[in-house]
Amino acid sequence: MPRSRAEIALSLGVVALGIGVAAVTATLPAEGGYARIGPNVIPAVVGAGIIVLGLWLSYEAFSGGWRKRAESHEAFAADPFLWVSAGLFAHMALIGWAGFVIAGTALFALVCRGFGSRRWARNLAIGLVLSLAIFLFFVKLLNVNLPAGWLTPLLGSAGI
Amino acid sequence: MEALNALIAGFGVALKPINLMWGFIGVTLGTFVGVLPGVGPALTVAMLLPLTVKLDPTGALIMFAGIYYGAMFGGSTTTILLNTPGESGSIATAFEGNRMARAGRAGPALATSAIGSFVAGTAATILLTLLAPVVVDLALKFGPAEYFALMVFAFITVAAVLGNSTVRGLTSLFLGLFLGLIGIDSQTGQARFAFGVPELLDGVDVVVLAVGLFAVGEALYAAAHQSRVRETIEKVRGSLLMSARDWSRSWPAWLRATAIGFPFGTIPAGGSEIPTFLSYATEKKLTKYPEEFGKGAIEGVAGPEAANNAAATGVLVPLLTLGIPTSATAAILLGAFQNYGLQPGPLLFDSQKELVWGLIASLYVGNVMLLILNLPLIGIWVKVLEIPKDLLYAGILVFATLGAYSLHQSWVDLVTLYVFGLLGFAMRRWDIPVGPAVIGLILGPLAETQFRRALSISQGDASVFLTQPISATLLAITALLLLAPWLVRRFRPKSS
Repeated sequence: MPRSRAEIALSLGVVALGIGVAAVTATLPAEGGYARIGPNVIPAVVGAGIIVLGLWLSYEAFSGGWRKRAESHEAFAADPFLWVSAGLFAHMALIGWAGFVIAGTALFALVCRGFGSRRWARNLAIGLVLSLAIFLFFVKLLNVNLPAGWLTPLLGSAGI
Repeated sequence: MEALNALIAGFGVALKPINLMWGFIGVTLGTFVGVLPGVGPALTVAMLLPLTVKLDPTGALIMFAGIYYGAMFGGSTTTILLNTPGESGSIATAFEGNRMARAGRAGPALATSAIGSFVAGTAATILLTLLAPVVVDLALKFGPAEYFALMVFAFITVAAVLGNSTVRGLTSLFLGLFLGLIGIDSQTGQARFAFGVPELLDGVDVVVLAVGLFAVGEALYAAAHQSRVRETIEKVRGSLLMSARDWSRSWPAWLRATAIGFPFGTIPAGGSEIPTFLSYATEKKLTKYPEEFGKGAIEGVAGPEAANNAAATGVLVPLLTLGIPTSATAAILLGAFQNYGLQPGPLLFDSQKELVWGLIASLYVGNVMLLILNLPLIGIWVKVLEIPKDLLYAGILVFATLGAYSLHQSWVDLVTLYVFGLLGFAMRRWDIPVGPAVIGLILGPLAETQFRRALSISQGDASVFLTQPISATLLAITALLLLAPWLVRRFRPKSS
């Protein structure tokens, strides 16, 4: 069953995380000063806890699957997932130089595509109006810094 | 009546026009996001945190409290009309509420839920007003060992006792605890798990974690699992007014539910899921019209809705008086306090009297605003329900990235946001609760500080946690809660 393979992978991932935490903890100093216990004590507890929980999850995964899992009835569709991700990546790439408004518009339209809408013109327009409204509201009214980017000639440099 | 004087002074703060405005913005926004499926108060407060750092803390916290409250009211509308409970506290309402709406009685269902929320919210706020000073007096006697034991108790109830699976709840908690370790150790200045990355030295911000898990994770999940089934929104036909019979059946349910909900909120029992179900069961048992249950009995809406609000108010008792959050939303509210350099707890009642009592007074005001906002204006909120999914999630993500980006104006936060989004997606898909992770991130560092303080006072003697009576009792109860299910299974006489 593909699902239980995912459970096994996740369980082992938790074990691996715990081992990672433990390995880094070993490099931390034990000096505690007045507190007598150093900055490595709680990380050690957390690391050990994660390893134990990972082993417990692995045990469940290997012996018939994780217990009492809520079943998801819908199948996983990769394309929408990738469109939404693409929107977030485009936003990351654009916000620094193209500015908040353009990044927000791109994000908005790509997420809409992820949810099955192909009305690009409408979605870009709504995204632009929404991003512009957010930009003006937060920058002009609440003094939050947001980059104006390419639209600096229009919006002024108040955003930076 | 010291509390009464303090409360009157608090009303002086809450009724200032500027704070009334923040309260109104908060409850409106809260109702709005409560109505939207997929957006909750935790996410909303988290997204707004970085955007409100320049506001006056009193105004901002009054707004956040309004969001917290408003989302509860708005959530009932969605549950009744759409039958998709936005949060676990609304599941019980859906049983009868949606049936009533389908039977053409959406109006009275919405009315009993809004008025019941108002009655229970106000009654619970009175209880909060009376109880808070008592708990503060008690809390002043707490030392680090007691605080640490209390936090461990909160961790275990929230992560291990609630939810489908102890091991998955604990995994989520420990993930949060690990994320809380990243950054500079407050006691020694030692960098931990930062790997030389300057952005990590400041630690993982609760905003990025909460927004990543709740908004990005939820959007990815919803996109990848789009249902072919069209959801139907029930029409609000006819009058919103409740008949005399509706009233006489709702009143006792509201009051009983307050008595059930408030205590459950104050103990770290993870919010409103248990009390709402308990209230539903109580009403089902006590009703004079058992034949109506399952077909839209008004008590079955009145009770759980009131219990939900009473519990939500109860959660504020440990949050304000002890600084201990018992739900994900409370953890983010605690993060909001910390953003302003404030640490909720008994000392806050002394040092920030105006703020704390202004906030409590604003709850009374907010309840009145919400009643007015929700009943006559129900038509607007039904329109909000009709926002198509694509625009809804696109809008959520624009706000989510805005919140994360405005923390440090750095794309590193956006990358982290996406990573937490993937984590939230996986947790959602494989049924791992996200709340414990958020609580672990916020409460973990506080628990570590108390742990080390306690040991530094006792000069490294770890028995301090077991020799102090309060701390020992709390730890014993915690151990019992953790072991109880296993013991029950082990020693129960085998029946078929």
